[in-house]
Amino acid sequence: MKESWKRVIVLTSIVAISVVVLSSIYNITEPEIAKQKEIKFEEMLQSIFPLATDYSGKEGIYEIYSDNKRVGYALMANGKGYGGDIEILVGVNEDKTIKGIKILKQTETPGLGAKITERWFTDQFSGKPIGDIRLKKDDGKIDAITGATISSSAAVDTVYEGYMEKIKMMEEK
Amino acid sequence: MIKDFTNGIVKVNPIFVLALGLCPALAISTSIDNAIGMGASVIFVLLFSNLMISLLRNVIPKEVRIPCFIVIIATFVTIVSLALQAYLPALNESLGIYVPLIVVNCIILGRAEAFASKNPVSRSVLDALGIGLGFTLSLIIISIIRELLGTGGISVFGYGVTLPFSPATFFIMPAGAFLVIGLLLGLFKRVGVIR
Repeated sequence: MKESWKRVIVLTSIVAISVVVLSSIYNITEPEIAKQKEIKFEEMLQSIFPLATDYSGKEGIYEIYSDNKRVGYALMANGKGYGGDIEILVGVNEDKTIKGIKILKQTETPGLGAKITERWFTDQFSGKPIGDIRLKKDDGKIDAITGATISSSAAVDTVYEGYMEKIKMMEEK
Repeated sequence: MIKDFTNGIVKVNPIFVLALGLCPALAISTSIDNAIGMGASVIFVLLFSNLMISLLRNVIPKEVRIPCFIVIIATFVTIVSLALQAYLPALNESLGIYVPLIVVNCIILGRAEAFASKNPVSRSVLDALGIGLGFTLSLIIISIIRELLGTGGISVFGYGVTLPFSPATFFIMPAGAFLVIGLLLGLFKRVGVIR
């Protein structure tokens, strides 16, 4: 009887100590982690809208301002790739053409599908109307990555569908 | 005592001799930066879990030792994971899921069970450092080969060279990892570095 109580007490105390340690470390790092996320997001916005000075918005739709004048929107697009979820920030001009895109999250195969983050691929989206956002083999204007057709078309579909969904949400408002 | 440290690097090298922790070794050895980041995380976790488990070795009852070890290991892994997210977000992103997976890395539980739970603190710490360093060096060797052949260049923390040949992407894919680890293991055995 005594032995079995010892087991319970030791394991419970170890778990309790661990909980205390982790919650205090979480409290220390939490604001820093939130800050890092925001810094990263702002960097991404800045790289699409170099002149942006301010932004506001929620639910994946952001209005971008430069000196208090609205210069466009940034939309969050989510989709599925070959290796997992893909998250893309889509910059949209006032005339609804694509200003530029930035891949926020992807887990495609390194060296193949992961090339969707490279400039030459993402730059293809800039300045195009949404109707052109299709791979060339599907009568669009985007070159696929050699050997990574699935990832390329996943990126294209994510941008297209995210754009359509968010634009619809904006118009309904 | 010094043997506890050096054993981990060659004689009981976790990757090439014990063949433990191969999953993260295969997955993150695509670049030297990742290898160093992963190695450092494993050294940290191994060091503190061995230290704690060795300190508590006479307190923890035999029947519940595995859950106790896992809770201790998971605590340190979570600390590493939170610290990486807060202070080294770029590295955290490239190591991805493999940081939380250190919890189930058999090297760490293996050392807790086979060494730290039976030996005094000083020897357990040396063992952790040796094994951790052995793991890190193995990862670095594998990742040098894979990065060089797979991307046609070598870079460490942003400084690097690109070599004038066309890279064989195969080497940074999972199959390339198996091939490199297998060939290295064979080579080390052949030249007699390991038995």
